[in-house]
Amino acid sequence: MGRAQYTIRRILQAIPVLLGVVTITYFLMEAMPGDPVSIMLGPSPSAQQAAAIRAKYGLDQPLWLRYLNYLWDVVQLDLGTSLYYEVPVTQKIMERLPVTVLLLVSSFAFAIATSIPLGIISAQRRNKPTDHVARIVALLGVSTPSFWIGLVLIILFSYQVNWFPATNLVLPWAPLEEVGVDSRADVILKSLHHLVLPTLSLGTLQMAALTRIERSSMLEVLGEEYVKLARAYGVKESTILRKHAFRNAQLPLITLLGLQLTSAIGGAVLTETVFSINGMGTLIITAINNQDFALVVGTTLVLGLVFVVGVILTDLSYAYIDPRVTFEEAD
Amino acid sequence: MATTTDTDGRTDGEPQAVDAEDDQPAANVGWRYTVKQVRRDPTALAGLAIIGVATLVAAVAFLDQLVLPLFGVEQYAIAQAVWVSPNAEVASQLLPPAMTTNVFGEGTWAHPLGTDDRGRDILARLFYGTRIAISVGVVATTISLVFGMIVGSVAGYYGGRIDDVLMRAVETLYAIPFLVLVIVFMVAFGRNLTFAMIGVGIANIPTFARLIRSRVLSVREEDYIEAARAAGVRDRNIIFRHVIPNSFAPVLVQATLQIGLAILIVAGLSFLGFGAQPPTPSWGQMLSQSRDYMLPDPWFSIWPGLAILITVVGFNLLGDGLRDALDPRINN
Repeated sequence: MGRAQYTIRRILQAIPVLLGVVTITYFLMEAMPGDPVSIMLGPSPSAQQAAAIRAKYGLDQPLWLRYLNYLWDVVQLDLGTSLYYEVPVTQKIMERLPVTVLLLVSSFAFAIATSIPLGIISAQRRNKPTDHVARIVALLGVSTPSFWIGLVLIILFSYQVNWFPATNLVLPWAPLEEVGVDSRADVILKSLHHLVLPTLSLGTLQMAALTRIERSSMLEVLGEEYVKLARAYGVKESTILRKHAFRNAQLPLITLLGLQLTSAIGGAVLTETVFSINGMGTLIITAINNQDFALVVGTTLVLGLVFVVGVILTDLSYAYIDPRVTFEEAD
Repeated sequence: MATTTDTDGRTDGEPQAVDAEDDQPAANVGWRYTVKQVRRDPTALAGLAIIGVATLVAAVAFLDQLVLPLFGVEQYAIAQAVWVSPNAEVASQLLPPAMTTNVFGEGTWAHPLGTDDRGRDILARLFYGTRIAISVGVVATTISLVFGMIVGSVAGYYGGRIDDVLMRAVETLYAIPFLVLVIVFMVAFGRNLTFAMIGVGIANIPTFARLIRSRVLSVREEDYIEAARAAGVRDRNIIFRHVIPNSFAPVLVQATLQIGLAILIVAGLSFLGFGAQPPTPSWGQMLSQSRDYMLPDPWFSIWPGLAILITVVGFNLLGDGLRDALDPRINN
């Protein structure tokens, strides 16, 4: 099977999963106590008003019909209208999604950039002081609540010494006049400055988890026969590491990278709350607190989509890293 | 793995498997072996010590908060007899820890870690918050373990269509970001601790279902299972008596780590306002209250996070120690 074929098959496989995501969320929201109509119109709306709203949003139809209608709309990329913001759900999501993706990308970039060297050094100097330090850092990293790291960072670096801002995230694509600077480069620089604390807050857990997997997978590879053989031939240790061990050790890391996305998205909800960032996480919390049915289902679906796309991408990147992967058994 | 079923004396008369590929030390599964290995492992022991202390504190809190009131004793009677009730507003608000000063006053040894925004003792609240952390971790993980075990073993053992359907369902559950799934679940059924535990339990089913399934797939082809099947042992018995006991080590490791994870998630939920409701003390909720006072009284935000960190480190240490102790590949 070729790459293109495999890609198409993986995308098709994602469809039932996404259908499941919509179904689960839709029916959970249906089970939700409280009436969206009374939220829109206040506690005691007139019967006429209520009926009008019900008819407008299709709330007077039976459940299964509403569900099928919703699915049909989703297929046409229409996620309904947000009752709270009174704009199409897709519009709200398009506004917020890039912010969360920015946060996720910067956290993963930080996590990958730190965890790979840390894991390799740790494996190379197994049971030496460097290894112990790296392992303790990783242990603390996977055991600390990300939102608390955020709080501590704010206390230390925003309140005690005013090095990094704690709120008002500047987006790299924000209009120049809004930020009050002259060039795009300045906006990006400002944005990076703002991103430091949220990135550390969200990325620490990923960094720690990746460091642990990198260390153990590196240890495993360094114990393989072909590495021993290379050593016996007198190949330099650094060459062994670079040419023989490194690539093979990255496979478990890539698998974990995809799976870490689900915890990272959850972490993003918390990080956005701590740093008052207007992303998908704060959007879904607002939607839930206001019983904004369409917005909750829509946001969950899109976050599920982000995860599925992430997993597909990691699956595909396997092929480029490890030519032995034939795709045949990957099911 | 040929002789594994012998360890617990539960051979049940099925034929001994052929001794092919006997490259592993005999009898390295089962709880007795586990205890023996853990005793030798300092990491696991350190974890056990932390968990032991936390569990003890949680047990006292459980007794004091929930059990004794059933018998007509005033809630927090033990706390008051020894020191101070976690819900009593005993001092001025937002006092700093002992030996430090902030804009609200000077810390005293009567309240070693300071007081919260309502003048309640932080240390007492931390103690009583342990109950929620430990019980949530254990209950949620038990739920995911039991259901994950059922789903995973059925899927792996029968294979084919059943496997496809179950694993697709599990994959779907996994695709919804964990925290979001639990929040949506809690909004639908109830915004309290019970549903937080159930929600986290359900959201964690995929982890165990996948783990057990992969174990079942590898165990299924073993000779002794073949033999049991040939001897007419029923499928259900094969799964429960042979397949699951043989998955003991990795499941135990995973369960320990998942308890730590569940504690982190429920703390996050409480932080967002989906968890234990006030005035019941919980760490996540304390952190959420402390957010408004980070500038004048930073210590208030530090303590609950440290409590979470130490407890979760305990479970992670034990999990890591167990993995090292039980994985024959690392032992060499």
